[in-house]
Amino acid sequence: MWASDRSWKLESNQANGWSEQEVAEELFRQYKKTGNSEYRERLVELHKNLVSYLAGKFANRGEPIEDLIQVGMIGLINAIDRFDPDRGIKFSTYATPTIVGEIRRYFRDKAWSLKVPRRLQELNQAASKIAEELTQKLGHPPTIREVAERLGATEEETIEAMELGSAYEAVSLDSTLEQEDDSTLSLGEFVGGVDVSLENIETHGDVKRAIERLDPREKAIIYYRFFRNMSQTEVAKRLGISQMHVSRLQQRALRKLREILTE
Amino acid sequence: MSSNIAPAQVELTIPCQPEYVAVARLAMSGIASRMHFTYEQIEDLRLAVGELCTLSVEWANKNNRQEARIVLRTEISSNKLTVDILDTAGPRHCGEGTGRDVEEENLAQLLITLLVDEAEVIPQPDGTLVRMVKYVGQR
Repeated sequence: MWASDRSWKLESNQANGWSEQEVAEELFRQYKKTGNSEYRERLVELHKNLVSYLAGKFANRGEPIEDLIQVGMIGLINAIDRFDPDRGIKFSTYATPTIVGEIRRYFRDKAWSLKVPRRLQELNQAASKIAEELTQKLGHPPTIREVAERLGATEEETIEAMELGSAYEAVSLDSTLEQEDDSTLSLGEFVGGVDVSLENIETHGDVKRAIERLDPREKAIIYYRFFRNMSQTEVAKRLGISQMHVSRLQQRALRKLREILTE
Repeated sequence: MSSNIAPAQVELTIPCQPEYVAVARLAMSGIASRMHFTYEQIEDLRLAVGELCTLSVEWANKNNRQEARIVLRTEISSNKLTVDILDTAGPRHCGEGTGRDVEEENLAQLLITLLVDEAEVIPQPDGTLVRMVKYVGQR
């Protein structure tokens, strides 16, 4: 059994006892013979459910279904014009590649500036906002189903948006961020570069003296981590201890330094 | 993400029931996302997997196979992705049932051939295997 949204059928015109197939065949014969566009119109009417059916398969890719049906109709008209009823192949078989081709070309030509699927991006943002709101309201993180319900999306779409959406998210460097004092700065201004003052930290007397008061292992970690730019894992390997251990020691060392410097 | 994809196999078995089709579709997009497919290609693969699983579910229904299962088996390699959809939904007697069912089934199969680079139906003793191949970098 096919779900109702999947099904398509020819518009039937069975008052005269003909099958849809026979009606179509007769219309094609008449159209090919006379070239009368009235026949073509009726053929389009007869097969427009095929277009809706196929367009429906491509829904949820970020373009309105109405647009997909429109381009699909162009494919349908082209197929009607090119179809040869005497070749013994069914029209739906003949028209499907043309219609699908037209729909897919539409997606391809619709060059997204960043190749970012807008649907996922928007859904992802909406989903995280709703998840946050629901967490507050319910007192616990919401289930996917709860988020999906509020979002008006299927659970599958919601999971996908949450899983993959963040990976697709791209923000312009020129997008502005509101500051507390109402001034705006672009995101680009927040992107870090090489900080000259950090490079000079080695010569900073206070810090140097503070570091000297650390125990040898803490000192080594601070040196490797912040003066040699090694990762915690690399430091762990060098010192022969676990990365977790390095992390703990580093935290302790930084806390000590902070205490010493605020003395 | 590295530019070279290491070969790998990923396999998922689901009950041949409509509510699990979404799981297969999600797995497909997860796997395809790991390769260098474009968003549209990933959606195409997802659509193809959804259509095939739905066909399997239809046949399990027709053949009264409540216990049927679907195996989604993917073979990841650097230049292509092979996707097998194997069901134990019993034999597919084409031409059986009403004309509309046959028509829709043909249409679904036709759609799949348009979505992937290669598609092959290989009847199995207990069901059907459909093997699809999609090449990376082709459009």
